[in-house]
Amino acid sequence: MSNQKKRIFQIEAFKNRVVVDPKYAEKTWKILEHAIHEIYNHNASGLSFEELYRNAYNMVLHKFGEKLYSGLVTTMTAHLKEISKSIEAAQGDLFLEELNRKWNDHNKALQMIRDILMYMDRTYIPNTHKTPVHELGLSLWRDNIIHSGKIQSRLLSTLLELVHRERTGEVIDRGLMRNIVKMLMDLGSSVYQEDFEKPFLEVSAEFYRRESQKFIECYDCGDYLKKAEIRLNEEIERVTHYLDAKSEGKITNVVEKEMIANHMMRLVHMENSGLVNMLLNDKHGDLGRMYNLFRRVPNGLAMIRDVMTSHLRETGKQLVTDAERLKDPVEYVQRLLDEKEKYDGIISLAFSNDKTFQNALNSSFEYFINLNSRSPEFISLFVDDKLRKGLKGVSEEDVEIILDKVMMIFCYLQEKDVFEKYYKQHLAKRLLSGKTVSDDAERSLIVKLKTACGYQYTSKLEGMLTDMKTSQDTMQGFCSSHPELTDGPTLVVQVLTTGSWPTQPSITCHLPFEMSALCEKFRSYYLGIHTGRRLSWQTNMGTADIKAIFGKGQKHELNVSTYQMCILMLFNNADRLSYKEIEQVTAIPASDLKRCLQSMACVKGKNVLRKEPMSKDIGEDDSFFVNEKFASKFYKVKVGTVVAQKESEPEKQETRQRVEEDRKPQIEAAVVRIMKSRKVLDHNNIIAEVTKQLQSRFLANPTEIKKRIESLIEREFLERDNSDRKMYRYLA
Amino acid sequence: MKKEDTVKLISAEGMEFVIDKEAAMVSQTIRNMLTSPGGFAEAEHGEVTFPEISAVILEKICQYFYWSLQYSRFGFFIFYFLGSVSCFFYL
Repeated sequence: MSNQKKRIFQIEAFKNRVVVDPKYAEKTWKILEHAIHEIYNHNASGLSFEELYRNAYNMVLHKFGEKLYSGLVTTMTAHLKEISKSIEAAQGDLFLEELNRKWNDHNKALQMIRDILMYMDRTYIPNTHKTPVHELGLSLWRDNIIHSGKIQSRLLSTLLELVHRERTGEVIDRGLMRNIVKMLMDLGSSVYQEDFEKPFLEVSAEFYRRESQKFIECYDCGDYLKKAEIRLNEEIERVTHYLDAKSEGKITNVVEKEMIANHMMRLVHMENSGLVNMLLNDKHGDLGRMYNLFRRVPNGLAMIRDVMTSHLRETGKQLVTDAERLKDPVEYVQRLLDEKEKYDGIISLAFSNDKTFQNALNSSFEYFINLNSRSPEFISLFVDDKLRKGLKGVSEEDVEIILDKVMMIFCYLQEKDVFEKYYKQHLAKRLLSGKTVSDDAERSLIVKLKTACGYQYTSKLEGMLTDMKTSQDTMQGFCSSHPELTDGPTLVVQVLTTGSWPTQPSITCHLPFEMSALCEKFRSYYLGIHTGRRLSWQTNMGTADIKAIFGKGQKHELNVSTYQMCILMLFNNADRLSYKEIEQVTAIPASDLKRCLQSMACVKGKNVLRKEPMSKDIGEDDSFFVNEKFASKFYKVKVGTVVAQKESEPEKQETRQRVEEDRKPQIEAAVVRIMKSRKVLDHNNIIAEVTKQLQSRFLANPTEIKKRIESLIEREFLERDNSDRKMYRYLA
Repeated sequence: MKKEDTVKLISAEGMEFVIDKEAAMVSQTIRNMLTSPGGFAEAEHGEVTFPEISAVILEKICQYFYWSLQYSRFGFFIFYFLGSVSCFFYL
């Protein structure tokens, strides 16, 4: 065993030669301090970066970082205090320039200092959680310069002064402004906001408050809005040029509030130049501007919309209740179309097709069109007029355009079934008198109605058109199978399917012998082709062309109704006939007879008959002669054909009653349909559902619905629930 | 090599190494020295003196610069290089 102590091998770390010079730190610092001085005095060119870097590096390495850092702070602060004095000393306009110049110098110096102290920045500072050099430089600048008593207020007032000058039209140095503002932004967003933005916004608010007050007194609405728009754009431009982008929203809010929001009410309602005036005069430019400006403030658009709606409803109401206009239905509807077009234009050009405005427009139109219960009738009359003569010579696309416009108005109607009734009547008259301008236009309109209201609505109308076509074919067949009839009176028959056409109860009158023979031939021909059908002559709906020779040899061709033809043919065999005789022989109903005689005897230019006594009305004791002295410029004379007219009061009542009658089964059908699927439902819900289902045809009356439900209960389609009187149950 | 593209690195013994600026800029410190505003002497004359770095070390450093430029994409080869350095201890 060895008693020797083993020597433990130790490997020691390589030691740097430690510099024990106590004044080492002081000496090194002095070098660096000197360098900082030189840098601030723009004398850096003689310095060696490497030397300074090495010195700073060594200080930190030997644990003198604290000394270095605090020394830096002290030196920089001292320099900044000097700089502050020189800036304060600057006079007037040179203040900002001096500030700007010193700021640039400071930045450059800061960067150089940061470069040479990079090692400290990267090691000492993170370890001790102190502020990095660059940030330190900025905050020292902020504390000693920007927040120094004299400079702070002067800076702010100078900046605001410049902004004010620019607002009043002067040109200022924007580059300088931009640099100063950027300086504030670099110092931190709180500095920018507290030292500039907040006061800026306050001053701006004050400025615009005063200006808007001044403007609203001297300018009218349109000009005021122009000015407001200019100011707004100016502020936005100002921000892009020399302010922080985040300020844009804030300053535009200020302008919007002061210039627009505060005066919104007054502007819209301004006499002679406000919104209503703009609407009336189609001032699209002004309206567009108002829309764009008001869009920026809360409730701006709502206000425009409300005023527009109430104005529109007012004008609409006047339109539909104006007694003058009601005399001419075509004019009435044309005015509605014009009004709609005007507002469509306004909304698309000025309000950029805003949907809420479109909705307001639709609801207003719906409101006032339905105020007048004759609107469905008038629209039908308008269409009738167009399809008779209004669309003559108009190109196909234009026809489509007009029909589409009418369809838009049609969609506003709540009582679409009333329209259907009138339309059927008018269509029947058009077709039977052959007065329709274009078959294609008719079909096109029916297609549009089908798209809007469904197949049910238009099935009968289409049936009517088909009947006309079929009748043509039938007539061809008849003529070709009876060639002997080419001499003698010509017969043209339209065969109408009973369900499709509007029926009027009619009694067949007695036709003259020549005609009745012909009619019988046709009847046997037709029934030979179609078995199981029944034909009845509608003598109240036909027309006839008669050639007549009068006393002095004038020849005329008269276009008359069938009744009138029967009456006139009688005069072939008699010179004088009394009213009673005519009535007896022809068996024409009294009211129709009076009307026919009146149009033939009392209307100037069409008086083919002479009446004794020469009164305007037809009396039971009147006698009639052929008017030998009848004269007319034309060879062909039309005598009182049946034309679609605005209905008289009693006729209107009758139609409305028929409409009401038709509605009853529809309501019942809807109720049954709903109950069948739901089985059990309470009263309010039924009403709601039924109304919804029938909405496309008419507005159902809750009382009427209730009556129908009672009727269904009686007929045992439904029953009331035993416990709850308000619930109904479906009975299978 | 043009004069404008080069810098001179001078060691403690006074040995001068003339290398491309691009190579020298591999070191952040040297880069700061040369690009710092304010006109330090180094940037003005294009010379950097390292009184505390010996020539041997400085030579290796310059080699490193060029190697780094060449292989800067291949990160893991740096270990291969370091393995070959025998007196790399002072940086």
